[in-house]
Amino acid sequence: MAMVRRSEFLPWLPPMGRKTLFALALAFICFAFAFPVLWLILTSLRPESGVYYVHRGTEFTLGNFAEVLREERIVEAFVNSALIATLATVFSLLVTVSSGYMLSRFTGPASRLWFGTIYVFRCVPYISWVLPLYFVTQSWGIYDTYTGLLLPHVAVHICFFSWLMKGFFDGIDPSMEYAAMIDGCTRWGAFIRVAVPSALPAISALAVLCWLFTWNEFLFALILTGNRVPMITVVMAQFVTEMGLRWNLMAATAVMALVPAFLIALFGQKYVIRGLRI
Amino acid sequence: MFGEQQRFVLLLIAPAALLLLLFQVVPIVIGANASFRDWALYNPRKTWIGFDHYVAVISDPAFLYVVLPNTFLFMVLSVAGALVVGLALALLLNRPFRGQKLVQTILLVPLMVAPVIAAIMIRWIFNDQFGIVNVVLEAIGLDGQPWLVQRWSAFGIILLTDIWLWTPWFTLLLLAGLQSLPKEPFEAAAIDGTTTWRVFRFLTLPMLRPVIVVCVVIRAIDAFRTFDIVWTLTGGGPGRSTELFSLYAYVHAFLNLDLGRGSAAAIIGGLIILVIGVVLYRLVDRIAKV
Repeated sequence: MAMVRRSEFLPWLPPMGRKTLFALALAFICFAFAFPVLWLILTSLRPESGVYYVHRGTEFTLGNFAEVLREERIVEAFVNSALIATLATVFSLLVTVSSGYMLSRFTGPASRLWFGTIYVFRCVPYISWVLPLYFVTQSWGIYDTYTGLLLPHVAVHICFFSWLMKGFFDGIDPSMEYAAMIDGCTRWGAFIRVAVPSALPAISALAVLCWLFTWNEFLFALILTGNRVPMITVVMAQFVTEMGLRWNLMAATAVMALVPAFLIALFGQKYVIRGLRI
Repeated sequence: MFGEQQRFVLLLIAPAALLLLLFQVVPIVIGANASFRDWALYNPRKTWIGFDHYVAVISDPAFLYVVLPNTFLFMVLSVAGALVVGLALALLLNRPFRGQKLVQTILLVPLMVAPVIAAIMIRWIFNDQFGIVNVVLEAIGLDGQPWLVQRWSAFGIILLTDIWLWTPWFTLLLLAGLQSLPKEPFEAAAIDGTTTWRVFRFLTLPMLRPVIVVCVVIRAIDAFRTFDIVWTLTGGGPGRSTELFSLYAYVHAFLNLDLGRGSAAAIIGGLIILVIGVVLYRLVDRIAKV
């Protein structure tokens, strides 16, 4: 077998030097990416007196977290955000898996029209429909309720996720579904029992993305909720103006908001990387 | 009325289409209606005033000379920055080395951070009195800057936050793209002793082009409507010098309580991005077919 020599970066350096340089560059990049989060965690562990000098001082405390958890509104916001994110994930997937399947398996005017609609609505800036949605939800009596926040969150994913699901189904050979239908399966049976299970990796990837997106979303929550349904991102943004200088409490809240997202992402990372080949 | 297949097709998209109709089409129509009326709290009759709001927005110097240039500059720089860094990191992660999994996980951290949280962190890091950046600058003998109350430094920080947030997204999609490329051309290039730069320039980049283009289009459209990081970092300030288009519409509708004018601004922005979106779609179509 012929020797295949890998071409390397900076060929004039000796191997040791190249390795060190590479490791240093890696360490620097990781530091740059992780620093803001590390700094936030450090701030959240400092007592009120030490928060302005995070870089010096050695007192650390978990008191900030306890104090934040005593605030009823913040706890309520965490529960609401988790609930809306989970429900929005379930409903978005129910709706977009079938719509993506339709786009992938059928051609013709209906399919082209639906695809065009999705592309156009994907481009519409959120503010252009969420701003008037404020009156719409008020006149339907769902402003500042779970329904009034959940349904727009499901609607926002329709375009992008249908598009991604179409891509996934395009990559799955439809002959299995035809075989199932010849064996007496209905169209629905072929879709639910054959196509959906083979798309599961992609569906898991979308579930992770959808959960993270809804948990992190701000503009919808800001416009479509008032006092009755506090969401965690809105509560934190209000902190900046209302609590002003209490950076230790703000950092503690932000760290707690990061934890669920971090767990979901860590757990779902491999599905996302596997599922996102476009 | 319909055949069995048509019924199946329609039922598949019915829930999605219904939601889209109720929560996007209906609000847009109502917003369009509001944009032609004097729809403010002090005028309960909501008088029809035609294109007055549109004229007011288009002839507003703040919109023409601050908001629009800011929005386009932000869109171009944010996408370009995140693409270059994201591609570099994807190439790095695509070659095997020890600790690769760990580095990959660390690089994906910003992806799970809510933009609002990112903005709070960056605000704290760049705080003019107690932020670590100024502390370090003063320690090495330079002057600390009031970062967020000067126009261009504030704009730069918003941009930096956005690039930090969205680089992993590019890395993720480009890495997935890199890993699905065929191996043979790279092996052939290695046997011929091609340099790394030429492999990148003449093999990787052209083969990756469809993925890059799709990422850029999606991200450009999203960057145009950026709201949360600007709102939390500067609130559009100092003055109104870092306002982007979404903020402009929001401020008019909910802070100045002029819902008609805000809706008109939202529709103008929507039309602009629609044109950009259609042009970009044509571009993708052409490139994907080559």
